[in-house]
Amino acid sequence: MSPNRRVVIVPCSGIGKTFGTVSREAAYTVVEDLRPDAAELVALSLLVLGDEEARAAVAGHPTVTIDGCRLACATKMVQESGLSVARSFTVLDAFRKHRDLKPEGISSLNPEGQKLARVLAEEVAEAVEELVKNETEA
Amino acid sequence: MTGVLELTVDKFTFRFATDRYYHPEGVWALPEGEGRVRIGLSDFAQQSGGDVAFAEVKPVGTAVAFGDEVASVETMKTDIVVPAPVSGTVAEVNPTLEMSPEVINEDPYGEGWLAVIAATDWEADRGRLLDAQAYLERVREVAEEEMRKR
Repeated sequence: MSPNRRVVIVPCSGIGKTFGTVSREAAYTVVEDLRPDAAELVALSLLVLGDEEARAAVAGHPTVTIDGCRLACATKMVQESGLSVARSFTVLDAFRKHRDLKPEGISSLNPEGQKLARVLAEEVAEAVEELVKNETEA
Repeated sequence: MTGVLELTVDKFTFRFATDRYYHPEGVWALPEGEGRVRIGLSDFAQQSGGDVAFAEVKPVGTAVAFGDEVASVETMKTDIVVPAPVSGTVAEVNPTLEMSPEVINEDPYGEGWLAVIAATDWEADRGRLLDAQAYLERVREVAEEEMRKR
């Protein structure tokens, strides 16, 4: 991880699930568009495998998880790896706040799903900003 | 809940409370005496639908006939129209559903109940419902058919 990037994002890895796709789209938007200098992705699968670099990234930086559904695999796997989660988000909660944005599709989201991913990304980006600020002040 | 039957199909296990009756579309009905019948979604229905995002029940005082829509449940996957398993009038709506509809997933036979219906003729409607074993067999057919389609 670049020393400038101080927050780790771990999205859902649910393959073949619409809400998993939304979580990953939101994560990509945060790291590529909204907070490219502050946030970086870590793959959930690497944490599950015990990859040392992935574990070190999560252990050394505030971590934000984005889960698709209430199973909350991303949050649970980070925690079960003995690591901590600074903030957690779920696509389901975002959808509850924006009922008109019902996502559909898996490989490519419908326009509503794309908007939901963007809205969620903006929420996550705000959290990243707060976490960076807290780290700077600490 | 006095007892539970279980059915495992592939990696899924579905539970069926034995103290109540079931509409074939996945709605349970639990008579509570004095003509009151509590209703909710079966474990199979909630698992098939996925995570519940919104649940809306017809308001108290609404008259429903057997099979009429009494509630709608919007999940991550689909919209479920919930048919009334008994004719009567909506007497109570689960207040938890407004803020925490996920209770339907978490406890479908308990805290996730949908409504209480003041039944007009429970004895007649009961004859149109399935007991837990009969509903389990129906679910077995549906689930196995789904597995064959995959």
